[in-house]
Amino acid sequence: MRYKRTELAGNIGFSSIIDEKFKTGSLTVRFITELSGELATANALGVGVLSSSSSKYKTLALLNEKLSSLYGAALSTFSRKRGDVQILGLTSSWIVNKYAIDGEDVNAEMLDMIRGCIFEPNAENGEFDAESFAITKKDLLDRIDAELNNKRGYALSRAAEIAFSGEPAEFSCYGTKEAASTITSAEAYKAYRRLLETAQIEIYYIAPEEEPKVLEMFKESFANVNRNSGSIEFCRISPAKPETITVADEYDVLQCKMVMSFKSDSDDIFALKMLSTIFGETPVSKLFLNVREKLSLCYYCACRYTSPKGTIMVDIGVERDNIEKSKAEILHQLDEICSGNVTDEEIQSALLSLDNALTQIGDTPASYSGWYFERFCDGRIKTPQEQFEDYSNVTKERIIEAAKTLRLDSVYLMLDKKGEA
Amino acid sequence: MVKEVITSPKTGDSCIHVKHSSGLDIYICEMKGFSSVEALFGTKYGSINTMFRQKGDKDYTTVPEGIAHFLEHKLFENEDCDVFELYAKTGASGNAFTSFDKTAYLFSCSKNYQESLRILLDFVQKPYFTQATVDKEQGIIGQEIKMTNDNPEWRVFFNMLRCMYHEHPVKIDIAGTVESIAQIDADLLYKCYHTFYNLNNMVLSIAGNISADEVLAICDECLKPCEDKGLETVFPEEPDTIVQKELIEKQPVGASIFNIGYKCTDCRSEERLVKSMQASIAASILSDASSDMYQRLLKEGIINSSFGTEIFTGDGYFTVIFSGESDSPAVVRDAVADEVDRMIREGVCEKDFQRIKKSTYGMLVRELNNVESVANLMMNSHMEETGPYDAITVLSEMTCEDVLEFMKTELKRDKLVMSVIEGM
Repeated sequence: MRYKRTELAGNIGFSSIIDEKFKTGSLTVRFITELSGELATANALGVGVLSSSSSKYKTLALLNEKLSSLYGAALSTFSRKRGDVQILGLTSSWIVNKYAIDGEDVNAEMLDMIRGCIFEPNAENGEFDAESFAITKKDLLDRIDAELNNKRGYALSRAAEIAFSGEPAEFSCYGTKEAASTITSAEAYKAYRRLLETAQIEIYYIAPEEEPKVLEMFKESFANVNRNSGSIEFCRISPAKPETITVADEYDVLQCKMVMSFKSDSDDIFALKMLSTIFGETPVSKLFLNVREKLSLCYYCACRYTSPKGTIMVDIGVERDNIEKSKAEILHQLDEICSGNVTDEEIQSALLSLDNALTQIGDTPASYSGWYFERFCDGRIKTPQEQFEDYSNVTKERIIEAAKTLRLDSVYLMLDKKGEA
Repeated sequence: MVKEVITSPKTGDSCIHVKHSSGLDIYICEMKGFSSVEALFGTKYGSINTMFRQKGDKDYTTVPEGIAHFLEHKLFENEDCDVFELYAKTGASGNAFTSFDKTAYLFSCSKNYQESLRILLDFVQKPYFTQATVDKEQGIIGQEIKMTNDNPEWRVFFNMLRCMYHEHPVKIDIAGTVESIAQIDADLLYKCYHTFYNLNNMVLSIAGNISADEVLAICDECLKPCEDKGLETVFPEEPDTIVQKELIEKQPVGASIFNIGYKCTDCRSEERLVKSMQASIAASILSDASSDMYQRLLKEGIINSSFGTEIFTGDGYFTVIFSGESDSPAVVRDAVADEVDRMIREGVCEKDFQRIKKSTYGMLVRELNNVESVANLMMNSHMEETGPYDAITVLSEMTCEDVLEFMKTELKRDKLVMSVIEGM
């Protein structure tokens, strides 16, 4: 594998990752900007329209027809949240020319299509094509509505809203339904132009062979964009509330959900990740073995560490009558770590689990793209092996110290309605 | 031991199939340049296998709903430890799943695959159940059942199957119900285990950064020979008709969702593969994102980009499903039925057919680009009684007329059902 990052212009990076084993080429363009309640929706819509048409493929039907004729090539857009930052983008993948049975130049066709979508969107007089915009807008509105369909995901989003209240991370990466209902095509276009001109932009090209034309295309295309980009603060630790707050919503559900948000002011991110792994990220973690296996309270009880906010969230699906018991056991397991009850075996299995995950990076194009992007956000490009060494250097004492810095900031409860009676 | 190399004539990919002397079928794909390993040890035993007998049994045994899934959970406990503790020592990520027609135990790892493979082969062949451990699991699975019942995607799918199938157990929830799993005890688990976890009914599939010779040496060391006991599974007779045309349920959802499905005639082995490919291409021609119907419904705001299709098939069931989010699912259902009728009347456009065929080919090639997909492909195709690369060959031989014929014989209005989950 060969990795190379080239700075195209101010705050535009082009990373090329060449790995002969792949049968596909893929390209991901990420626009990175501060998450803002005011602009999140316009940004999501502005980038969202890009995969619905372009000046060459004027309708979604024409665009999709072209994609399917290129052996089902994929092209989509996304909006995500990473701490206080909104990451929007366009991603595409296709089978490389070697596998094209009719001898088409799929690589060149896809490069041309991506160029068109990003630099020649279907827009005139400062606004997107009305039909493309309407389709994207409805899609976004429906996506916001559909968040409740996934109860576990919804509970985690609500918990983030509560834990990060007053900070950019409280907002959804799609913005709000109210904003999405009223936003105009011109506003979305303006938001897209603003991203093109001011966002940090990171491009990832992953393919089995070098293709200098990709870099050239982006260089030439960005030469026509008037760039004025500032720096992005990727990590902003969230302060814990002085007193833990609990927020509950009631729904007609069979299973209640609880999300406990713990915050740390420590900058020892490797110790916090090791702590999170031992606490609740694997089937031999303290939460899995005690809350699920020993007490049979749940099907899942797990945690995740969000390094940009210094937060560990524990979530569980549980009976209403068992919420307090579960909460007490989760806190007890954390206390156990704080009191030094961490075995060498637990540390070793956490390390092996992390090593396993890190060594698998590179087996899919998406894992390469995700890895190098995350390291860019961290401010230091390094290999998965180097990251593993950072975990290996974490001592038991550092894990205990990291655990002691955790404060329970807030608890979110999604309750069933049966408990009312 | 019989060993053969299977090669895809279209892409050049290849894998090894071994009929091991223990009775087990083994598929191995060495994937150069990849770091990870994915291994699946599966049995042809899923939620639909509730009635069975073996050679010498006079009567069929009927077991409670959800027992295959329960057994999957319990197999992770050995007499002296939990299997996850063993995997924790190798760093592998272990898991398992139960579907309608199979149960598979798997691990993925990037180092020490030999030791993880030994763990996998060992624990699946070594059941240990007691009433106490069975009782403990009731609470955990009870919560899993409640979680899935709160999942509208799951509900809308099962409600659709309940609209279609009168008797076939595909309509029952994979995990069963809180009541049905209460009937499960250690003896029943042992009975099901000894019936279905016979190596003659199982398959090992392993792909990635491995050596075939090493894998086979470990298999020789760990597999315990099994006598083929002539397992026979049966299903209640299923009428051709549907049960009801629609089922609408209310749940706390933000967006209403639907599953619209045609109940088709079931078939087996290669015939099922051919028919599945025809069905998949037919569904794409009817409604992929560049089709007239999709575009019309999208512009009218009836559907959004969540709209999609799926071919769902197994022993005794075959369905073509259209799913998505909509406030007007009946309009979608009528549009699908009208479009099928129009194509049957006017024929399938050859240009569209060729385009969708290419798109499907691309999807099949991509599948071979991923360690996990390859391991799953080898296991699934074996269980379907086909070869891992047969789909590409079937696709290359398919004609526009085949697809039209599928539509004429299988996509009938009186076999069309609709399931909807709407907000409260």
